[in-house]
Amino acid sequence: MSKGFYEFFCPVKVIAGEAALEHIPFELSALGASKPLLITDKGVRGAGLTDHVTGACEESGVTMVAVYDDVPPDSSTDVVREIAELYRSSGADSIIAVGGGSVIDTSKGVNVLVSEGGTDIAKYAGAGVLKRPLKPFFVVPTTAGTGSEVTAVAIVADKTKGVKLPFGSPFLLPNAAVIDPRMTLTLPPHITAATAMDALTHATEAFTCLAKNPLSDAYATGAIRKISDNLLKVMDNPKDVEGRLELAQASTMAGIAFSNSMVGLVHSLGHATGAICHLPHGMCMSLFLPYVLEYNLSKGESREALAELLLPLAGAEVYAATPEGQRAEKAIATIRDLREELYDRCKLPRTLEETGKVGRDQLPRIADMALDDGSIMFNPAEADFDEVLSVLNQAWN
Amino acid sequence: MSLQQIKLQAMSQSKRLYVTTMMQVVGRALQSISEQDEEIRKITSVFPVGFVFSMQVLPEGPGFALRKNADNSLAFLSELPEEKPDLTIYIKHLEHAFRILSFQESTAKAFANDRMLVDGDISYAIRMTRALNRLEAFILPKLVAQLAVKEYPDIPLPEKVIHGARIYLRVATNLISQQVKFA
Repeated sequence: MSKGFYEFFCPVKVIAGEAALEHIPFELSALGASKPLLITDKGVRGAGLTDHVTGACEESGVTMVAVYDDVPPDSSTDVVREIAELYRSSGADSIIAVGGGSVIDTSKGVNVLVSEGGTDIAKYAGAGVLKRPLKPFFVVPTTAGTGSEVTAVAIVADKTKGVKLPFGSPFLLPNAAVIDPRMTLTLPPHITAATAMDALTHATEAFTCLAKNPLSDAYATGAIRKISDNLLKVMDNPKDVEGRLELAQASTMAGIAFSNSMVGLVHSLGHATGAICHLPHGMCMSLFLPYVLEYNLSKGESREALAELLLPLAGAEVYAATPEGQRAEKAIATIRDLREELYDRCKLPRTLEETGKVGRDQLPRIADMALDDGSIMFNPAEADFDEVLSVLNQAWN
Repeated sequence: MSLQQIKLQAMSQSKRLYVTTMMQVVGRALQSISEQDEEIRKITSVFPVGFVFSMQVLPEGPGFALRKNADNSLAFLSELPEEKPDLTIYIKHLEHAFRILSFQESTAKAFANDRMLVDGDISYAIRMTRALNRLEAFILPKLVAQLAVKEYPDIPLPEKVIHGARIYLRVATNLISQQVKFA
């Protein structure tokens, strides 16, 4: 069925593949910048990943004027302010973020402050507040899951007030996302699995939720195909450079897809469970994905879209061998099989009980919070408290 | 002015009149349903007392605004407040507002189609959307309401008829009193 109306926007230059990092000096100079500030976290720097970036830049005569390597997993306005001060005092003229979701969101916040001026990031919270382009900004993802390098949003916690500040503007998008297989080569198996399932969920929800559109669909199916073809290969051979690059590209493609067509109930549940039980986001996605798809299907939604997804999920032979009326169920079964394989390889939990961090008595609170999550609006099937609780109980064990 | 231009202008004026009237009806109906329906008061219970919600068509209306009372009911404000409301759902264009308020496009679909913008806490916007959906289920015939909401809720017919009648009566009374006031 054709989509009556849609919007699609992604102006980020994607620089992907072998020796991609070595393109950074040229791209900086193309934007008139030569004094980058590198923002990362201790784990990424400790793993030596920032060395690849600084090395690639120094060979072309570009030196980082400063490096901030203390971004915490849940970033805050205080951290953003501290890094903005470093940017100003070091005389930097651009930002390179090297890390996962927290580093990228923090760097987006820093770019707002150093471009707009002042020390109060809260002034720029909300949608569409920013009215002009920011400083040159590059993102080098070190996980293959969040897709933050191509999303026009950021979340920064104001710990003094106990609130999370949302920022939404096309000006938050980086000038370039640099996808280099060296940056994900040393990811531990359980993080490789959880982040890939995060990307798979982005793509699946983008394809099955209310704001789906033909351009997002193309990115989503491409991402799913890459994950299906490469995730288990990489789990079995973590040094598979080509496979790592495919997963990293899939993450970016899924990011482009969901930032233009939004996500649904899997994310509502994941956000709530993450906030209440402090489970990693990717793990929550992997955990809830089949249960929510089954719920939507039980409400008579997404059958056609899920049936189409069987092709990128399971390949042409399985697709052709499955009767048309059973393809949606087979797609969900394929996702379940993938989760089983991941459980065998790295014990990625399949149920809330297996996480060991969620109490069954917490489920009503999670359901309550999920109902107020923004992404629930885009889920194809309506869900009230009892229905959300029922999905959570299904996911329990 | 060509005939085509006259037709377009007349259509635009009709749409503006329809949207302006419907905004008044929806705003007043929300006040009315919040006074009699416990579910709506549960939805608004998390908003602070004095919380102001508005829905407006860009760039300069029409729209409506409501303020939350201490008992969780909502009070219709006869004029859009001068100070910034705590939560505003903006509809990007009069044509989009017409589609939404003539139930050609559900609220969820309108969000998915980027017809609307939220200025304020998203979780509160989700709650207000739930309240709007419940209102539509009460005041619209089932066939029409099914177009306006994702899933038509299970409301017993007597409850729908009684609540719906009360809401319409209250809205009509308010509109008539306003006309008398301005006469």
